[in-house]
Amino acid sequence: MVQNRSLIDESGKRSDGRIIDELREVKINVGIIKNADGSALIEFGKNKIIAAVYGPREVHPKHMALSDRCVVRCRYHMSPFSTDTRKSPAPSRRETEISKVIREALEPALILEDYPRAAIDIFIEVLQADGGSRCAGITAASVALADAGINMRDMVSACAAGKVDDKIVIDINDTEDKEGGADMPVAYMPNLKKITLLQLDGELNSNEFNTCLEEAIRGCLKVFEIQRSSLIEKYFGDEKGLNE
Amino acid sequence: MQEVKRKYVIPGDIVAEGNLKPLVNVYRHGNLIVATRIGITESNKDGAKVIPLSGIYFPRANDIVIGKILDHSSLSWSVDINSCFNAHLPAQDIFGRDFSPAHDDMGSQLLKGDVIVARIAIFDRTRDPILTIQDKDLGKIPTGELIKISPTRVPRLIGKRGSMIQTIEQASSTRITIGQNGIIVVSGKDKEGINLAINAIHIVEVEAHTSNLTQRIKQLLNVPESEIENDDTKRNHEINDTEINDDKVISNKIDKEMGMMNSNGTK
Amino acid sequence: MSLSKKSTIIVENLRKKQMMESISTGKRLDERSLDETRPIEIELDVIKKASGSAWVKLGKTEVVAGVKVETGEPFEGLENSGALIITAEVLPIASPHIEPGPPDEETIELARVVDRGVRQSEMLELSKLVLVPGKIVYTIFVDCSIINVDGNLLDATSYAVVAALASCKLPVFEIKDDKVVDTGRTQEPPITTIPVSVTTVKIGDYLLLDPNIEEEACMDARLTITTNSKGSIVAMQKGLKGYFTVDEVKSIAVKAISKGEEIGAKLKELIYHGKKE
Repeated sequence: MVQNRSLIDESGKRSDGRIIDELREVKINVGIIKNADGSALIEFGKNKIIAAVYGPREVHPKHMALSDRCVVRCRYHMSPFSTDTRKSPAPSRRETEISKVIREALEPALILEDYPRAAIDIFIEVLQADGGSRCAGITAASVALADAGINMRDMVSACAAGKVDDKIVIDINDTEDKEGGADMPVAYMPNLKKITLLQLDGELNSNEFNTCLEEAIRGCLKVFEIQRSSLIEKYFGDEKGLNE
Repeated sequence: MQEVKRKYVIPGDIVAEGNLKPLVNVYRHGNLIVATRIGITESNKDGAKVIPLSGIYFPRANDIVIGKILDHSSLSWSVDINSCFNAHLPAQDIFGRDFSPAHDDMGSQLLKGDVIVARIAIFDRTRDPILTIQDKDLGKIPTGELIKISPTRVPRLIGKRGSMIQTIEQASSTRITIGQNGIIVVSGKDKEGINLAINAIHIVEVEAHTSNLTQRIKQLLNVPESEIENDDTKRNHEINDTEINDDKVISNKIDKEMGMMNSNGTK
Repeated sequence: MSLSKKSTIIVENLRKKQMMESISTGKRLDERSLDETRPIEIELDVIKKASGSAWVKLGKTEVVAGVKVETGEPFEGLENSGALIITAEVLPIASPHIEPGPPDEETIELARVVDRGVRQSEMLELSKLVLVPGKIVYTIFVDCSIINVDGNLLDATSYAVVAALASCKLPVFEIKDDKVVDTGRTQEPPITTIPVSVTTVKIGDYLLLDPNIEEEACMDARLTITTNSKGSIVAMQKGLKGYFTVDEVKSIAVKAISKGEEIGAKLKELIYHGKKE
């Protein structure tokens, strides 16, 4: 992908005022959907996304159940008002692909054998999108899964890095996604140090790729800190003393 | 008694290092014991585990549960036990082995919407839980106020050898039936007593992981000063609940042998 | 084709008994009186990319509505009116009983009843939203995402649509060289009235306003009435397989008008107070 105009100005500021190694502001609100078994609202820059988990629960239809482990269903869906141009409510091919890669980003962390014949449903609803919505969705879903008490080997944290004005930058926003040189979303299990989502859209040479991957992982680790503090705050509030 | 170290953990956090035995809600990863859920750790010479603070009810054989009748087939009632699987109560459990849909009317015993307290007689990885109401104190619950709490708080609500729930029952003059699945029925003669009990139950649910909870509950219920023991000495026991959890651990061991309990080792 | 369904939610007989005993003394299980509605909370402008938006909480029922504006052809027979399109979706995050998929008959009815109330009240003066009569008009989409279900989606969704529309900033389009151009300026929407939807349900012989999910699982019939600021009724819809007597309908209508005034004042306060900040 070749850029048409410069996206970083002379003082090193990007289109939204950030410098190249700065993440957008991230806020996570745990337990926002009262009916769900686990949920989280994430605000990642201008992204506003809700992830809700129902599970383990009965599989419908019953014949889809697996005898030795649970079935994971994942749906990434955007509300019509979430994008610059209104989006039709019907599922698009993009949403179908993203639903799949998100499921495959989260499944490695889940201990599926603990729930034979059951289903874990993960629903990601994008209320407002601004570049990096799949990473924000994965991040929120991981928090929702922990909130639901599902057995997990590790959390999953996600962040994208990319190339803008021939520089490797962390956390691509919407403008940079549409007009920049490359966009690489990554999901990462922070304790086990394993990558569970990796996509690339754009052109990177070998060195650029290595730097981009390292930057994305650095972003994932920063995002992980916010996931952990939001969970600790909801569950342990003022009783943080136990960890000292 | 060995000092018990506790930590707050989220999935992926390290619970302990070394040769400790992984118990529940943890798994072994090399030299580390890692948490699989949000909760409070507990490690001593017997092993390492996490006491979970969230999660739906996952059935276990021998648990006492409170359920509601959804429907019935010709041979059993299907029962919602607030879990990922519906349970089944065989008609034979009530009518006996000679049960026949031709001359025994299931509707005469239990109707859609009825609430029952039952024991999970059978549950394994291959089928839905099977209930029985044949033991003492089991069966249909005709009256009372029904409330739901997170199943992870039930051990705290019961307390060491039933102490917490008995304190609440006595102070509010109510009878409280608790299901391991988080469903509770409170019955009593006067509304005030029932409301007091329900209030106390909700406070235990929200503050289950905090210290001095017993003391605060007793104060709420106006239990006389002489009966409020020095809670500081009881601190370890309170949050520990090892006796309750020991039963859980034993049944977990059996369940693990049957191949159905939580992760307990690397694959 | 419409099919009668098995009920998804079965309320425990214990709870039903508790509920009926309580209702017969004039109080519901959540302590409300029979004609008391739950508190309404509205947060405006929650979706910055939309022209207007509202996050409404009616008790624990939560709905997010967003307004997006485009230009397009007018509806047939309405050549001198802007086009208003209202949709609603109950998202699978909202309840354990939702299966993801295309909207079912209840969701479609929900969207159409809310649309009817807003459209018939003429809340938005659509004649003011025309660019080239007969050819190009403003097309206003109000899309609703229901994110938590605790009963009375009809009223909650209606309040969300009303709040999003009343607080939005419409883009100003112009025709330049035969093309539609977004000038970048915004304008206040032409609002004439604040329609208010009030839903009443029948449980046994009792009439209750603003049912929560448990009450809905026990209801026999439902009547939704939308009124405008003048106290006139602009839309009605009866739902479910039970029935109402003539007297019941008349008394529900009287109540809906007076409640409509009360809730209308509350909505205005929440919308315009929020707007001025």
